[in-house]
Amino acid sequence: MADEMKIGAYICKGCGIGDRLNADQLASTATRDGKAAICQQHDFLCNEDGVKMIQADIDNEGVNRVVIAACSRRAKTEAFAFENVTLHRANLREGVIWVRPDSDDQQETTQEMADDYIRMACAEAKYSKIPESSGQQGVNKNILIVGGGVGGMTAALEASKAGYPCSIVEKTATLGGATAQLHKVIPTKAPFADPQENPVAALVAAVEADDNITVYLNSRTTNISGAPGRFAADISTESGATQTKEFGAIVQASGFTPYDANKLPEFAYGKNKDVVTQAELEALAIAANGGAIKRPSDGKEVSSVVFVQCAGQRSKKEGHLEHCSGYCCSASIKQAMYFKDQNPDVETTIMYTDLRTPGAGGENFYRSGQKKGVIFTKSVVSEVVDGANPTVKFKDLILNEEAEVEADLVVLATGMVPNSGQPTRAELTIAENEDAASAKAGEEVEIRVDVESILNLDYRQGKDVPHMANGFADSHFICFPYETQRTGIYTAGPTRRPMDAKQAMDDAMGAAMRAIGEAENAGLGRAAHPRSGDLSFPSFRKEGCTQCKRCTVECPFGAINEDEQGYPVYNESRCRRCGTCMGACPVRVISFENYSVDTVGQQLKAVDMPDEFSEKPRILILACENDAYPALDMAAQNKLEYSAFARIIPIRCLGSISLSWITDSMNSGFDGIILMGCPSGDNYQCHFVKGSGTAQERMGKVGDTLQSLSLEQERVQTYEISITDIHKVPQIINDMATTIEQIGMSPFKF
Amino acid sequence: MSDIVATNQTILVVGGGISGMTAALEAAEVGKQVIVIEKRPFIGGRVSQLYKYFPKLCFPTCGLEINQRRMNANKNITVVTMAEVTGLEGEAGNYTATVKISPRYVNSNCTACGACGDAVESEFDNEFNYNMDKHKGAYLPYNLAQPKRYVIDPQMIGTDDAQKAKDACKFDAIDLDMQEETIELKAGAVIWATGWRPYDANKIQPYGYDRIKNVITSVEFERMMDPFGPTGGKLVRPSDGAEAKNVAFIQCAGSRDRNYLKHCSRICCMASLKQSTYVSEKYGDDANVSIYYIDIRAIDRFDDFYQRVKEDKNVTFIKSKVASIVENKANGNPTLHGVDTEGYNRYANEHDLVVLAVGMEPSVDKDTFPIELKVNDEGFIEYDEANGGVFAAGCSSDALDVNRAVQHATASALRAIQVVNRVAKAEG
Amino acid sequence: MSSMVEKYRNNFLKEVEANVEEGEWVKMCMQCGVCAGSCPLGKHWDHPPQEIFMMIRAGKRDEVLTSDSMWMCTSCYNCIVRCPRELPITHIMHGLANYAKRLGLAPKAQPTAWFSQVFWDNMMKKGRVNELKLGLSLYFKDGFVSGIKESLKHQKLGMNMMKAKRMSPMELFGGHGVKNAGDLQKIIKKAQEIENARIESYGK
Repeated sequence: MADEMKIGAYICKGCGIGDRLNADQLASTATRDGKAAICQQHDFLCNEDGVKMIQADIDNEGVNRVVIAACSRRAKTEAFAFENVTLHRANLREGVIWVRPDSDDQQETTQEMADDYIRMACAEAKYSKIPESSGQQGVNKNILIVGGGVGGMTAALEASKAGYPCSIVEKTATLGGATAQLHKVIPTKAPFADPQENPVAALVAAVEADDNITVYLNSRTTNISGAPGRFAADISTESGATQTKEFGAIVQASGFTPYDANKLPEFAYGKNKDVVTQAELEALAIAANGGAIKRPSDGKEVSSVVFVQCAGQRSKKEGHLEHCSGYCCSASIKQAMYFKDQNPDVETTIMYTDLRTPGAGGENFYRSGQKKGVIFTKSVVSEVVDGANPTVKFKDLILNEEAEVEADLVVLATGMVPNSGQPTRAELTIAENEDAASAKAGEEVEIRVDVESILNLDYRQGKDVPHMANGFADSHFICFPYETQRTGIYTAGPTRRPMDAKQAMDDAMGAAMRAIGEAENAGLGRAAHPRSGDLSFPSFRKEGCTQCKRCTVECPFGAINEDEQGYPVYNESRCRRCGTCMGACPVRVISFENYSVDTVGQQLKAVDMPDEFSEKPRILILACENDAYPALDMAAQNKLEYSAFARIIPIRCLGSISLSWITDSMNSGFDGIILMGCPSGDNYQCHFVKGSGTAQERMGKVGDTLQSLSLEQERVQTYEISITDIHKVPQIINDMATTIEQIGMSPFKF
Repeated sequence: MSDIVATNQTILVVGGGISGMTAALEAAEVGKQVIVIEKRPFIGGRVSQLYKYFPKLCFPTCGLEINQRRMNANKNITVVTMAEVTGLEGEAGNYTATVKISPRYVNSNCTACGACGDAVESEFDNEFNYNMDKHKGAYLPYNLAQPKRYVIDPQMIGTDDAQKAKDACKFDAIDLDMQEETIELKAGAVIWATGWRPYDANKIQPYGYDRIKNVITSVEFERMMDPFGPTGGKLVRPSDGAEAKNVAFIQCAGSRDRNYLKHCSRICCMASLKQSTYVSEKYGDDANVSIYYIDIRAIDRFDDFYQRVKEDKNVTFIKSKVASIVENKANGNPTLHGVDTEGYNRYANEHDLVVLAVGMEPSVDKDTFPIELKVNDEGFIEYDEANGGVFAAGCSSDALDVNRAVQHATASALRAIQVVNRVAKAEG
Repeated sequence: MSSMVEKYRNNFLKEVEANVEEGEWVKMCMQCGVCAGSCPLGKHWDHPPQEIFMMIRAGKRDEVLTSDSMWMCTSCYNCIVRCPRELPITHIMHGLANYAKRLGLAPKAQPTAWFSQVFWDNMMKKGRVNELKLGLSLYFKDGFVSGIKESLKHQKLGMNMMKAKRMSPMELFGGHGVKNAGDLQKIIKKAQEIENARIESYGK
């Protein structure tokens, strides 16, 4: 496309805009200040006729930068969806007339507000380009599945059924993983009364029968480079033979390792042979092959068994697991049934604190266990005493007394430790390096971990997917369970969160869906969640780059590698388009086609700046587009007023804020600056992981700048805003206005 | 609505809650054509009525905003609100659905400017707030409602107010003559994401929900926290508006009980733990929370949250299914009677407010599905070959928390894609 | 005697399942305590039903069988109605009481147990309850002096009942009965045999 820029500005007079504002003046602002080549007014811009008017200008007049001066960018998006143009919204409804009183004395400042938003939208238009995919990768429908347990096999089978070829890389000699070691599994179907046949054999048969699935046994991924749509994985066998295959996306179903019961000497594990783990009991059950289960010490048929729930779990004790592994209550019921179904006279007692068998199936299974005579004792086990028969000492919480019982066999319900590989560089840095500053400056931190990597990603930030609580490679988000910090890599099963075989299979199916989605999207150059569909991608001006590595270190998604000279290497399809790299860059060489230092920087410069004595301060608000901006919109919707001196610019993430925006706005005479981002901390709400936190750190440095300009510290403030802070956002703006009244106008007005 | 294009490669998603949205997005973002049928005037389902999510205590509207933006931006998705699937015939790869669309009386011209709402006086029970307050006859269901379009309450039709609303609209968006419509849609696969409804607390007679004002349900409690909710974000007692600082939560209110719902509803333990933090959020150290439970099912990684709440000295846990609630007529306090079974302690505890952690039951009654499906005793749809190309997503399959529902819905999208890809392949 | 080793084994539970009416339900309890809470006489129970169930599972044979708790049950059926697990608690309580009595372990001076026996014996004589004799035997339960006191206390009630012809002083001398009381006794005897056979058959 001959990219001669042509701005068309369209001013809507509906929803009261025409009544409250001087539309002719807005039009002249657009043409005079905004340099719009075409400017049209319409009574009802979002209706068919209005949209047609704009489309006609695009088609006939060559308009390729469309400025809509109407409602919020969040409203009427389906109407204003034009192709092959950039779109810019001057928010005159939610941003101006709905937050200002309809009175004559306020008319002037309200109009100024609207004029500024038009100037800003035009400025943004001027510096925006139409995003196009980089073409770095095409559609690669091959899915790599790491782990050949029930999860991995399910992912492969289901993706294959949808037409996507899969490769399973399994480190052992057989498929089936942990589930293969089970006698039977927890029931998955009504009436949820009995243990169910192990699904592994059927899955293995199906995998083997599927031409679309390639299985690599005794193999590991020894290196994975590239990005979604063009992952290159080295698949190495134990013998060292390596082949490299290309994939569109990856499912990591690497399962779990049973907790090491040797860490539980208090339960006589290792001392008494008849104290076993749940996993070991499965082996005994398989050995019994439907007959009486015999205990390890002397081969005696077990006539009494005690299950100790939460063994080494749900505990803050050193070496214990803090989490609940979720599956062990049902697993113990299932195992108790192994005994009861074979011989109802075997005494089976489950010692638990909270019996966790949720859902429809769970409760039915619990009841079925009781019906079969499994005894449930709410109790805390303190000790298992070694002896000819192990003796379990416990406190019965119902009868409120200490007690003990001897049993032929004691089964410890120990939990799951996720096979999630190595911590990332950042996680290690936080854990090991008190002086986080050195890490921020991009200093090398040696990765010293005795855990083997699962994926061996050739990523600047570490070899595996970042870990969440308790070491699980989980999503941080409730609404987005597959949202890892490594685009195109989806974890499933117990590596993601504790779960049983059935759940792992369901989970793997979802992960397969995500992998397919990402393989398709990456091929088209589209961003993944939350900026789904965004075609823009970051690039940098090499000649300006100082190889400082801040962008590669700070990218929350590990999207940027470094070349030998230390220049950043962008991987478009790993990138989530948050702009954190842009905010990190001290020399401002990183930009997106439609989001750059200029698209924001020129907006704040476009604001008309009244002089120091006008009593018309200007407050710049940089608001996170996902939470703060909607909150501001909703405040407007509820007609909550805020200062006419506010000028709001939505930004992708607080992490993308370039310090130059702050210094430039101070230098151009803004009296106050408010940054609104998402809550940070352990329960951070930023979908770009750490935008607010990063911004707060960076703003620490603004203090010096303010000082050097002899400006008050209060002029720049950062807030953590949730989307529900609808009452709070106008208050924050008004408080800033009050502060400015108190400390006076900025002297930097020209 | 006659302009909806649907073929046997279309995926029909029944229900526009978090599960339906997720399934629709997953399918649409890989290029499938999706039609979402939503019964209410807006998408978002039950999560739109939640204040916070456990265990992160983040806000559901945050994720809704993202998903709504994705849906708006995706041309493969058509959303039909105020619509219900009344009939479904056919087989995998070839379904015909009959969809009844109720009149909204507001067309796509609506800009959500609010003029109609300002113009009318009449008010009606507000379903969004579980009828704890009223909305106007012309209303936006809630702040983030999507489609962002007003609704005229059908009860207002035929009144002067209806005409006033119409007259107030400058954009010809109100059509008082709009009629119920029935359309037929083709589909290759159907994702059934009709979700859940709170168990009817009136059925639990010993708890006196219908008699004692200060006994409310967990979903009502949730609405109280919304600054735009029925109490303006205040945690107060319905009887006298007094601050509710001493709050009791009764677990398994309707769950794990053969008299009511036989199954464990999974979410209620975590929901009450979460809601206990609401009391602290409002009243700090004056908060006094009691949780009456049988088992605290804060499963897997949720256990951290339970441990955290347990450390709060203002929260007490009592292992007991409360036997009965009696109102203290003098002060309106509900008094809980029962036995703490850990060591046998009989109690008669007075609280300012009692919250029934009501169970989750499938929205669609077992015998009312428009097509034969394999449904278990509890009313949840099982995954079964016999269901052909109809796949449950989210809480229509089991009592699930949001995270698990979304995970399940993502998987369901793949099942539907398998079917339509097969059709596409067959058709070349 | 139950030793420590016996505790928490299933011996007593099995015994209960074998010998107590509806005893096989004991294992189904999930310790919610709604039975205890909804019992109108709850506070008179040393061990409420759910605790008794746990004690049975814990093998506390003597404590359970010698307890007077299950004798507190008045068959109001509140617990059965409320039990989320459908346990026939009332029946189990009566079953346990009955079993304890059969074994001679029921508390000796337990008034409900005593009254039940008196009632039974009274009724068995003629097939109808002799209210006057039943009342008097209740009043004189603890000896002559307290019997007189107790009778005087209820004097007015007695007089009113007589006036209303609900009780006759002549009952003291024989009293009314059913026709062919001998047949009734045969029926009862047969029933007793069936019941004994049933008890014998428990656990087989």
